[in-house]
Amino acid sequence: MASVKSSIRPFNSCIRCIRQAANTNSLLNGSSIRLFSSSTATREEAQVQPPAQPNSMEKWGPLDPNLVDNKRDERRLLRRDGIQPIGSRRRRAALQTSALIPFDQLPYQCFQEARKILFEDRQEKLKQIQKQKSRLQNLVTQDPAVSGGVKAKEARIRSMRNHLNELIILADINDPMVKKKFEDGEGDMNKSIYRYLADRKWRQYKRLILEQRIKQLNIVPDILPALDPIADVDLAFGRRKIAPGEFVDSCISESIPRLKVQTFEPGEKLVTVVVVDADVPVPEKDGFTYRCHFIANNIPISATQTSIALNSLDHQPKDVKEPTPFHISSPWLPPWAHKGAPYHRLAVFVLEQLDARVLDVTQVGKTKRMDFILRSFIDKNKLKPIGVTLFRTRWDEHMAAVMQRAGFGDQVNIEFKRKRIEPLPYKRRTERMR
Amino acid sequence: MLDATMLLPRIFAPLRMVIRLSSASLVSSVRVDILRAANGSFIPSPTLAFVRHASHQTQGRANGAKQGPGKRLGAKKSGGEYVIPGNIIFRQRGTAWFPGENCAMGRDHCIYATRSGYVRYYRDPLKHPMRQYIGVVFEKHETLPYPPNAARRRRLGMLAVRTQSEPETLEGQLVVGDFQGGDGMENNTDITALPRDRTSSKLVMSRGYTFRETNWDIGRAAERANVQTKMFIPGDRWTAWRKSKARKEANAEKKRLRGAGKKPIKSKRKR
Repeated sequence: MASVKSSIRPFNSCIRCIRQAANTNSLLNGSSIRLFSSSTATREEAQVQPPAQPNSMEKWGPLDPNLVDNKRDERRLLRRDGIQPIGSRRRRAALQTSALIPFDQLPYQCFQEARKILFEDRQEKLKQIQKQKSRLQNLVTQDPAVSGGVKAKEARIRSMRNHLNELIILADINDPMVKKKFEDGEGDMNKSIYRYLADRKWRQYKRLILEQRIKQLNIVPDILPALDPIADVDLAFGRRKIAPGEFVDSCISESIPRLKVQTFEPGEKLVTVVVVDADVPVPEKDGFTYRCHFIANNIPISATQTSIALNSLDHQPKDVKEPTPFHISSPWLPPWAHKGAPYHRLAVFVLEQLDARVLDVTQVGKTKRMDFILRSFIDKNKLKPIGVTLFRTRWDEHMAAVMQRAGFGDQVNIEFKRKRIEPLPYKRRTERMR
Repeated sequence: MLDATMLLPRIFAPLRMVIRLSSASLVSSVRVDILRAANGSFIPSPTLAFVRHASHQTQGRANGAKQGPGKRLGAKKSGGEYVIPGNIIFRQRGTAWFPGENCAMGRDHCIYATRSGYVRYYRDPLKHPMRQYIGVVFEKHETLPYPPNAARRRRLGMLAVRTQSEPETLEGQLVVGDFQGGDGMENNTDITALPRDRTSSKLVMSRGYTFRETNWDIGRAAERANVQTKMFIPGDRWTAWRKSKARKEANAEKKRLRGAGKKPIKSKRKR
């Protein structure tokens, strides 16, 4: 019996090391969101502000999210500290009675042998990286005439850089510690390996869905001729996350949303955020037009700086003497739809500004809201679409009030009805047919 | 030999007649013997016994289906013809043609228009290299396929109607107009029943899990609407006669009105 226990112990510690200290309260500060974890998703959902603690909560004592192992304590932890317990309950129970052996010292021969092989492989890759770097350096300093013209030299430099980046990824891709950290959401997005893993994870599921929505809802031919999203965009109204293409209640979408834009490329970017309605009915022309609902420029984002709180973009503290430049050129217009009209597709575009050049907000603000053509807007301001998400809106019970507040009170009574289509002459009913 | 066998039945024929005429009891054993001999001597010829069996089944699946009635497939609208939503453009078995712009495919693979416009038969190699499509364009001069990556051409097909901001009628509210109550002739009580007060009547779950008013509640509807009726007095023949007379007259009037369109009634002609 004792032997069984002693053999179980390292296993427990193994489990513990895998999920040792996943950051628990990440959504609150917004700096490193536990996005790419493969473990329980419930942790991500219920991140709430820890409320002010009454005294009755104090006597619950300290609660460790790694160790709570019954329902009551889990609930208390969530209520008092706003922290979800880590991992499964079974694992937490096992951790209470196990020795803490670090991950890389686990007493399994096969595991350690495998680690040795991986370590050798890594050393090899590091050598290759060194070699590639020195080669690249030589090539850069080389005279273009020797390397066969400027263009050929540039092409070679580009391909060598790509190969170097590939090697950097390959050096770390098999590291169990890297994998563990990434799955725990502790990956440092400044490092290319974590960016690579995050990108891969995004492309495996979320981007596929986004692509499908873009295709199904005809965003691509209607608003832009082509679209290749390279950044993950999450849209949320307050605490309500919106999946791409979801119908959003008008009272929810009345307030300005917040975005989380995760890029998988190094460096900082300046982006413009544009929200376009692609289904504004024009009964006079028997067609549709576009309407711009929001434009904000010069928003800095990077792989680590992902959150764009559009509502607090131009929020200026009162005591500051010199105001920082504004971002919002067209303030948020709540999405609205006429009664009976077909649903409106609202697409949120994240557009990268060329060479991080700053745009003139007042100049951009002169663009008309109605008949807003995103294609020409992009051409005019030299932008490049990097991310997109979308939602839909239609008439609902709150729409009348929303329209009143947004200043479209005269439109509330207008209802869209299907036009009667006259039958073709030979089908016209005669007296005899009646 | 052959001749004899063929003649025998004819020779014995009168004899058979005689036997039939005489009663059965009188038939002697000798005669029976003769008859037997005559019958026994009759041998059917081999040529008559030969039967030609069917070497090929005449009915059923083996013969294959003959060409049935034509199914009237094919183009119902030619290229450039004006169509309205729901018009069938092409009838087919299988998908020889696919629905393109502003068209859809029916349950039997027929192609029909979803918008009014002009029919176009076309190919779209970018969409599918092998397929042929049928589409509908809004303008006569347009061709299909539309340029790739251009915004779709769409029609709203709706009218903006300004509605009065009237309070919406409650669901299930029954508005009864011009309810005729009372008896036939002298007291026609016209009442316009008011919309029933939903708050007062209670809906009770009855059999079949339906919520409805109780029967006694429905029965009180007239009382609630203040419908005044005369008391029925048994044995009051005067009122009864007046009522029946009025009813008969009303029926006759109705009958006359009904027959007015066809031809004059006989009784009228008599007059």
